[in-house]
Amino acid sequence: MRIIVIGGGISGLFIAYELLKRGIRDIIVIEEKYLSAGGSGRNIGCFRSSFTSPEHVILMKRSIELWLNYRSELGLELKQSGYLWIARKPETLEVFEKLSVFHRNYGIPTRVLSIDEVEHVQPGLNKDIIAGALFDPMAGRMPIFENLVKLYLKLKTLGVIFHFYTKAIRLNSSGYRVKSVITSKGEIYGDIFIVSAGGKGTRELLATVNIEFPVIDETRHPIITEPYAEILKPALIIDWDTPGAPYVTQTEHGGIIFARNIADIPEALLTSHRIDVIGLTIKPIIELLPILKYVNILRYWIGYYETTPDHHPIYGPIYPYENLYVAAGFSGHGLMMGPITGLLIADWVLNGKPSIPIAENLTLERFKIGKLVKEIAIVG
Amino acid sequence: MLGEKPVIICRCNDVTIEDIINAVEAGIDHFEVLRKYLKIGFGPCQGRSCLLLAARIFAKLTGRRIEEVISEYRVRPPIVPIPVRVLLAGVIE
Repeated sequence: MRIIVIGGGISGLFIAYELLKRGIRDIIVIEEKYLSAGGSGRNIGCFRSSFTSPEHVILMKRSIELWLNYRSELGLELKQSGYLWIARKPETLEVFEKLSVFHRNYGIPTRVLSIDEVEHVQPGLNKDIIAGALFDPMAGRMPIFENLVKLYLKLKTLGVIFHFYTKAIRLNSSGYRVKSVITSKGEIYGDIFIVSAGGKGTRELLATVNIEFPVIDETRHPIITEPYAEILKPALIIDWDTPGAPYVTQTEHGGIIFARNIADIPEALLTSHRIDVIGLTIKPIIELLPILKYVNILRYWIGYYETTPDHHPIYGPIYPYENLYVAAGFSGHGLMMGPITGLLIADWVLNGKPSIPIAENLTLERFKIGKLVKEIAIVG
Repeated sequence: MLGEKPVIICRCNDVTIEDIINAVEAGIDHFEVLRKYLKIGFGPCQGRSCLLLAARIFAKLTGRRIEEVISEYRVRPPIVPIPVRVLLAGVIE
């Protein structure tokens, strides 16, 4: 059985890895550009399970457990240093209390912190403008490319074939079976096809077999400083009460990354730089952590949140096709979901259903029957 | 290309010729992946001193032309490190 994975990012890699572990030997991964040229190489490297829908919480908790296993299994690196959600308004703490109860019901030990406790987690915060925080100790961050490269080299050693600079142009079907994928470098035949080609890429490819895939690529503009010694103690600090929820993280290399959800042209190009986003993104963070006013900005880049109508990924079989599957539309969470994506898609392909039942709620069918998932906290 | 002493290619992040050779031998097959993996051009020089050197070595090791090797590289603003206070001066919400 030959399985074709379309998309050479974190999802495609973990899908291939999970299929290999379950005995599939003939796997071809095709990628439009180079390894992780899309969202997998453009994100800020953070993970958490403290979401506000059971789907996200359950799947992400399992994904983090898998990431932790892969430290020894694959030599991957990650650090659970926590997420700190800052409340500026006292009433936000009531929301945080409810969220914390919800998280603890699912075994995620988030807790609400007083101003003094917040200072213990991150020294130097401006206590005059904060009311408290929610802390998620299971969340964390990782060096992205170190991990991607380790996984990629492992897959190559195990016999997975990669075709880079090979763009999937259309799927070729006969009846309810996909026969082949027509690429910029020729036609590739297979028995099973899995599309994990980012937002727009997946949408355009599925349109060639008359499947409507509701995803839109929204730009994000992360900004990074020169490398510094450790300033940020938690993996991520989020300014929850400021519109666009600005956030800040510090990489393993030392660079401090700022980002914020700022309105932009829909599906603006990756090269459509905007100098105004730098100040807009950094200003609220510096109010919270004044020491950051002394840093130097090195560069900024654009990446996409491949956003679905309910900000949850679209997983699983694509009806009415018998041999077509999808994993896309992660809405900003593709990296952290990588391991669980691999596990669930391998379940669907080999067993016909996911081993974690709640994942059934995330198929494309939900948009046809109007059963969208609800989520209120979509950052980092 | 290897001498007795380590030859540093990327001075911001202390990446040597040996690091590049090892990465290519391990199986890294595209320059952008090598760059992001070893952090070449990620320091304050933004690649102005190291990028072409690294690209030439990579081209030689992989038998490709240098134009092909650097074709995906994008210059990212601002070109030189800028203090935050300068960028904050004109912020209007």
